[in-house]
Amino acid sequence: MKFITHNNLLAWLGKLKEERTLIAPQDVGKGHIHYRPVSDMDAITFDYTRPDMSAKEFLFPQTERLMRIEKRGDEVTLHDYFLEEKQVIFGLRPCDAHGFLAFDALFLEQDPPDAYYARRREMTTLVGLSCPEMWENCFCGSVGGGPDDPSHVDVLLTALGDGYAVQVTTPKGEALLASANVQEKPDLALPEIPQNDPIPILPTGEWPALFDNQYWARLGERCLSCKLCTYVCPACRCFDLRDEEVLSGAGLVIHDRMRVWDACTAPNYRTIAGGHNSRAVKGQRIRNRYYCKFYYYPEDFGPLGCVGCGRCIEACPVNIDIAEMLVAVSDMSQGQEVSA
Amino acid sequence: MTEHNHKHHSMRPYLGRLAGIKELGTDIRLFQIELADEAGKEAFADYKPGQFGFVSAFGEGEAPFGITSIPAQSDLLEFAIHRHPHGKTTQGLHNLSVGDPIGVRGPLGNSFPMEDIKGKDIIVLGGGIGGAPLRPVIKTVMENRDDYGTMTILWAARNPGLLIFTDEYDEWRDAPRTELHLTVDNKPPDWDEGDEGLITALLEKVNPGPENAITITCGPPIMIHFVALTLKKLGFTLDQMLVTLEGRMHCGIGKCGRCNLGDIFVCTDGPVFYHSDVAELLESFL
Ligand SMILES: Cc1cc2nc3c(=O)[nH]c(=O)nc-3n(C[C@H](O)[C@H](O)[C@H](O)COP(=O)(O)OP(=O)(O)OC[C@H]3O[C@@H](n4cnc5c(N)ncnc54)[C@H](O)[C@@H]3O)c2cc1C
Ligand code: SF4
Ligand code: SF4
Ligand code: FES
Repeated sequence: MKFITHNNLLAWLGKLKEERTLIAPQDVGKGHIHYRPVSDMDAITFDYTRPDMSAKEFLFPQTERLMRIEKRGDEVTLHDYFLEEKQVIFGLRPCDAHGFLAFDALFLEQDPPDAYYARRREMTTLVGLSCPEMWENCFCGSVGGGPDDPSHVDVLLTALGDGYAVQVTTPKGEALLASANVQEKPDLALPEIPQNDPIPILPTGEWPALFDNQYWARLGERCLSCKLCTYVCPACRCFDLRDEEVLSGAGLVIHDRMRVWDACTAPNYRTIAGGHNSRAVKGQRIRNRYYCKFYYYPEDFGPLGCVGCGRCIEACPVNIDIAEMLVAVSDMSQGQEVSA
Repeated sequence: MTEHNHKHHSMRPYLGRLAGIKELGTDIRLFQIELADEAGKEAFADYKPGQFGFVSAFGEGEAPFGITSIPAQSDLLEFAIHRHPHGKTTQGLHNLSVGDPIGVRGPLGNSFPMEDIKGKDIIVLGGGIGGAPLRPVIKTVMENRDDYGTMTILWAARNPGLLIFTDEYDEWRDAPRTELHLTVDNKPPDWDEGDEGLITALLEKVNPGPENAITITCGPPIMIHFVALTLKKLGFTLDQMLVTLEGRMHCGIGKCGRCNLGDIFVCTDGPVFYHSDVAELLESFL
């Protein structure tokens, strides 16, 4: 097993920062931790639970400039904005890395691939940091992940004594690690990380039978359609497109075509041009969000659309709780009456 | 971040020019597009009836529209576009003039099974702008008239100003074994080309026989629903009914999530469906 001391890790991160964008957890004030590009090495925090927001914004930005539309007279030219600089995300929690599996399945593997995402993915290396424990609301272990799951990062560090055990899982990680001062410690053992009690996950095939259950309408009554649950989610991927003016001068007008996060819990998500909305009721939209995660996404693309980070539980202003929902649907599928 | 390259990819429109504009009705125009480069021309060399494209009014946005031409008859790509009172893209498109640059992505989605329905009597039911993607069906049948049975076109709109392709009606009527029936919700005193009332009433009146027939319906969800009920009354089964479904769409390629109905995506699994398959969907389109 490889090992790196804390000081050598800092030195390595410092080197990485010179040659690419280094993104790492930082305290942005009032105890809020976010993944942010690093300008000051001292700002990186190593003592954090799960950042408020996932890291998806670095592969799928909240507002992403896709292409520049240049109009000169009546000539238009398009220029794609593709990520130019390499980036490394350090301190990525395993659940957030797991979220990229859902993105890869849709944006890389499902034809046609998304050129912008593909470029970002290629330019990004993921250095994970195991969670020392599972916090309240975490259920990664129930959805195929774990607090020390190395599967979806290029390198995983796990805190151990005065440094970190190092697991390298990909050639990309191998290459990145070449500039680090790591030691071989053959008898190093990874720590056992205590797990939260598992939450039952209803098998994909059993969801359709519960679609018309009144549970969804009752659950929806509380929802404010505020969309927070989708924005904090490392696996939600709905998007909208729009053109915005950047510059307007004599003979030259420039617009950018932007891709922005969208949310299926929004009231008019399904309103079509004639005004018809087949998901006008809040319960239908909540149901869509959960079915997307546990039925549609795995049916259509493979992975689940939830990695068990628990963020949507903490974000929801009216305490709509995905873990409670998962317990409820399992109970319902066994014929039990459940209140929402 | 700067420009990187100019290779084509799925989110990047092909460039073209607006070669012609025709008024089709109140706030409805036909847009005739000439694609500029080889890649675009190649992509649109062999599109099928029922497919759609995303049309860009550069600087305003892009939106999905059914292709209303057929490649056998036109080198220009045609779309019939209704200007939405608050719609950014459709307003932007309606503000364009002949010669202006325009962008298109596609062709997208599946198509009407024109091969499978050969030999059958075809009943075409179009409501308002929903008639746009049906024009390629009508044109294909007329181009290959011997391959199909009778063609009965039922064309409806809220008022005569919203009936599209009026200047082609004579041609449709004159085609062999082809009938055209018109109806509007509100009939003005000076209009006598058809009935007053809903398309379902017209359908009961025309009363087409279900034997060896197939219906193709395109219009708002509520129309699709009630037309299907009427067709059932007339003896048609759900697997004799083809429909197109709509959904808000932001990508057309199964990525943005907008158009899902349960586990299917209208943009990639549709927009054309047999009603029997629609009835099986987990989530209702209504
Ligand atoms: C497969 C397919 C084929 C189509 N074919 C055609 C065709 O051939 N011809 C045609 O004219 N149309 C067609 N449409 C419809 C067309 O795509 C829409 O009219 C178009 O997307 C409107 O775009 P817009 O940017 O102008 O309007 P948007 O700016 O997107 O708004 C359209 C309307 O939607 C409503 N709306 C949008 N957002 C909100 C909100 N947040 N709150 C409340 N209301 C809202 C408003 O009423 C608004 O006026 C088709 C649609 C699909 C999916
Ligand atoms: S727990 Fe909520 S926020 Fe986290 S991955 Fe699952 S659905 Fe998304
Ligand atoms: S965070 Fe809660 S209230 Fe807001 S949209 Fe999601 S479920 Fe509804
Ligand atoms: S339009 Fe984006 S998924 Fe169908």
